[in-house]
Amino acid sequence: MDSYSNERPKGPLKVVDDFLVLDDPVEQQAFTEMVDVDGQAYAHSVLMVQGMYCAACADTVEGALCDLPGVVKAEVHAGTRRLIVRWDPARVRMSHLARQVGATGYRLLPVKEALSISNRLAEGRKVLWRLFVAGICMMQVMMYAWPAYITEPGDIPPDIDHLLRWASWILSLPVLIFASGPFFSSAWRDLKHGRIGMDTPVSIGIIVTFVASSLATFDRSGAWGHEVWFDSLTMFVFFLMGGRYLEYKSRARTAGALDDLINRLPEVCDRLKPDGTYEPVSVRRLVVGDTVRIHAGQAFPGDGVLLSKRVTVDEALLTGESHPITKHTGSALIAGSFNIASPVDMRIEKLGADTRFAQIVALMEKASTEKPRLAILADRVAAPFLALVLLAALGAFLYWWQIDHSRAFAVAVSVLIVTCPCALSLATPAAMLASAGALAKRGVLVRRLQAFESLAHVNTVVFDKTGTLTLDSVVVAGMQLRSGVQAETALSLAAALAQASLHPASKAIVKAAREGWSGQPVPLADWQARFDCSDVQEHAGQGMSARIAGHGQVKLGSAVFCGVAVAADEQGTSPRVYLADDAGWLATFELDEGLRPDAREAVEALKAMGIETWLLSGDRAGAAQRIAHQVGVDKLVAEAGPEQKLQEVAALQAAGRLVAMVGDGLNDGPVLARANTSFALGTAAPLAQAHADFVIQGGRVTDVVETLTQARKTLIIVKQNLIWAALYNFVSVPLALAGFMPPWLAGLGMAISSFWVIGNALRLNKMKKS
Amino acid sequence: MEVLYLLIPLSVVIVLAIIVIFWWALESGQLDNIDREGDRILNVN
Repeated sequence: MDSYSNERPKGPLKVVDDFLVLDDPVEQQAFTEMVDVDGQAYAHSVLMVQGMYCAACADTVEGALCDLPGVVKAEVHAGTRRLIVRWDPARVRMSHLARQVGATGYRLLPVKEALSISNRLAEGRKVLWRLFVAGICMMQVMMYAWPAYITEPGDIPPDIDHLLRWASWILSLPVLIFASGPFFSSAWRDLKHGRIGMDTPVSIGIIVTFVASSLATFDRSGAWGHEVWFDSLTMFVFFLMGGRYLEYKSRARTAGALDDLINRLPEVCDRLKPDGTYEPVSVRRLVVGDTVRIHAGQAFPGDGVLLSKRVTVDEALLTGESHPITKHTGSALIAGSFNIASPVDMRIEKLGADTRFAQIVALMEKASTEKPRLAILADRVAAPFLALVLLAALGAFLYWWQIDHSRAFAVAVSVLIVTCPCALSLATPAAMLASAGALAKRGVLVRRLQAFESLAHVNTVVFDKTGTLTLDSVVVAGMQLRSGVQAETALSLAAALAQASLHPASKAIVKAAREGWSGQPVPLADWQARFDCSDVQEHAGQGMSARIAGHGQVKLGSAVFCGVAVAADEQGTSPRVYLADDAGWLATFELDEGLRPDAREAVEALKAMGIETWLLSGDRAGAAQRIAHQVGVDKLVAEAGPEQKLQEVAALQAAGRLVAMVGDGLNDGPVLARANTSFALGTAAPLAQAHADFVIQGGRVTDVVETLTQARKTLIIVKQNLIWAALYNFVSVPLALAGFMPPWLAGLGMAISSFWVIGNALRLNKMKKS
Repeated sequence: MEVLYLLIPLSVVIVLAIIVIFWWALESGQLDNIDREGDRILNVN
C-alpha cells in the first residue's frame, strides 16, 4: 500500500489527515445523498478539492479515484473545484477515498459553509503573498537593473556594478522561494506523469535564468558568460502571479455564490410542541412529520402540506410562476418558496436533500460538471509546442557548446526567453480582461473570461420570462371606475388599504398611487389625512377591508370578496383587483407583469444581428404568449419545468446551435449551466448568478446585445494578438537559435511583444457609453 | 558616489523589511477581505 502511494505524483499539498471524520454519518449527511441505480444503493457526494490550480489537476484527482474498488464514478469540475463522486458505502469508506486523493497531493473537504470559508481565506492569503513578494522584489530589482540599460558599457564602476548584481541576486531569492512555488510544483507533477504542461518551460526558464545569472554574479570571468537577467526573471514571475491572482478572485466569487445559496434555506423555525406551544428549533433538527409555523416573509424549510386554511406563496424562484399563488388546506408547499401573507402551519413531509429545491440544485451541479473542458484540450494542444521549444533550446545549447562554452548558455536562455509563451498566453486573457473591464463600467460582470469566445459565436439567444423580460413585480396596467369617481381618488383610497399588506398586488397599487395615475404624485401623508382608516384587516387570499369615514366599509380584493359580479369575458385574462364601498363597486384595477422597457428593443437588435430568439418560460401558456407577442421573439415554449428547459436547450445544441441563455430564477440554474454561455439579470437569485457567465446588474436587457457586440470585437482582437504572437515567435526563434539574439534582446523582444499584445487589447476598453 | 555603498545595501534591507511587515499584515488577517472593505466606503449605513 505504502509503496503504491509513494509512486503516485505529489500535488502542491502534503496531506497527512486521516479523514475519519468524513465517515461520521451526521457529517456525511451534509455532502452526501443516497441514490438508487439498478436496485443498488450508492452514495453520491460533492466535495471540495483543495490545492487545484489548473484543469490538469482535475485529471490527477479523478485518476486517483476512478480505479479504486467501490468507486462508480468520479468527476472533478475544474472551475469550481468541486468533486462529485458516486461510491458504494458497502465496499469502501469515504475516509479511504479522501486518503487516496491526499496521497496525490490534494485535500478533499466536505462542502460546508464554515469550512470552505476558512479554506478560501487561507488560499487567498497565499495568492496575495506570492503576488506581493514578486511585485515588490520586481520593482526593486528593476531599479538596480536600470543603470545598466541607460549607460554605455564601462560607464558604471565595476565595484558598483557588482554591488547592484549582488543586491539583485538577494532580492531574486524571495521571488524564487516564495512566489514561484506553484509553477515548480505543477511542473514537477507533470514531470512525474511524464507530461509537459504550460508550467514546464516556465519552470525551466526560471531555474536556468536564475542559475546562469547567479553564476555570472559570483564568477564574472567564468565560462557562463557575464550577463544577468534578474530583472526579466522577477518581472516574468510577477506577471504570471498577477494572472493567477485574477483567476483566484473569479473562482472565489463563484464558490462564494454557491455558499450563499446553501444559506438561503432558513436556519431556525418554530416547531409545534405536543402542548400546543411553539419552540424555535434549528432546521437541521426538524424531522419528517413535524408541524412548524412559517411567518410572513419566511421561506418554507421543507416540502410539506399546508395545515392552515389558506396561504399565499411566492414560487417564482422555483417554478417561474409569476403571480403569487393562493393555496388551501392540504396543498403541497415547496421548500425554498416564500410565505407572503399571514403566518401558517405546515406539516413537513420532505427535508434537505429530498426536497424539490435540493433536486434542482443537484441538477445544476451535474449540468455544470458536464460542460466540455476546453481548458484541458488547450493544454493538450499546447504540449507538443512546448516540447518542441524545450528540444530546440536543448539542441541549441548542445550545438553551441561545441563551438563556444560561454555562448551556449546565452543561446539556450535566449531561446527559452524568446519562446516563452508569455505573449501567446497573454493574447487571449489580456483582450478578455480589457473587455471585462469595459463591461464592468456598464454594470455587466464577467464571471468566466472564456465565455467571450462562445458568446461571439452564439446564434441563438434563449430568454426566460419572469424577471428577465418582465419585471419582478406586477404593475397597475389599467383602471375602470364608477362614473363620477376620479382615478386619483380611487387609487389613493385603494392605497390607503393596500399599504398595510405585503401582497404584490397591494404593492403595485401603492406604487401606482405614489407615482400618480396621470403623472401627479400623491404624497403618502395625504392618504392618511384624506381617509381616516380604522379596523384595517387582511383576509388571507381574499383582500383587505377597513372602515373609512365617508365611505363606510371599504373592501379591496377579489371579485367575490368585494361582492362584485364579474362578466364572463373578464375571466381568465390578466388578474384584477376590485375596490368596493357601501355603495357597491367603485373601481377595478387591472394588473399586469411589467415588461422591461427595453425588452422589445433588445430582441429587435438581436434579430438584426441575425440571431434567433426564443422564449422559454415556466409560466402558463397564456401569460407567456402575451409577453412573447409583445417583445416579438421567434419561438416560444411555455409551461416548461427545469428538466424540460434543460432538454429544450440540449435539443437546440444537438441541432448544432450555439445557445446563450438569459435567465434569473433558481429554476433557470441548470439551463444556465448547460447553455454555451449564459446571462443572469441583476435581481437574479444567487444560484442563477453563480452559474451565469455574465451578470447584468442594471437590469437592462439591451446590455445582452452590448455584451454580444463586445464579445465579437474581443474575438477579433484575440485573433490579431495570436497572429502577432505567432509571427513574433516565427521570426525570433530562428534568430535566437542562430545566436544572433543576445538574451537582453530576447528579453526586450518578449517585453515588447507582450506590451504590443496588451496595448492592442486595451483598445477594447474604449466602449461607447450607453 | 561613495554613499551608494551604503544606499544599495540599505535598499535591500528595506525591501526585506517591507516583505516581513506585509507577511505580518497578511497573517494577522488585515487583507482577508479587501473587496469588502472597498465596498464598505460606498455604503451609507
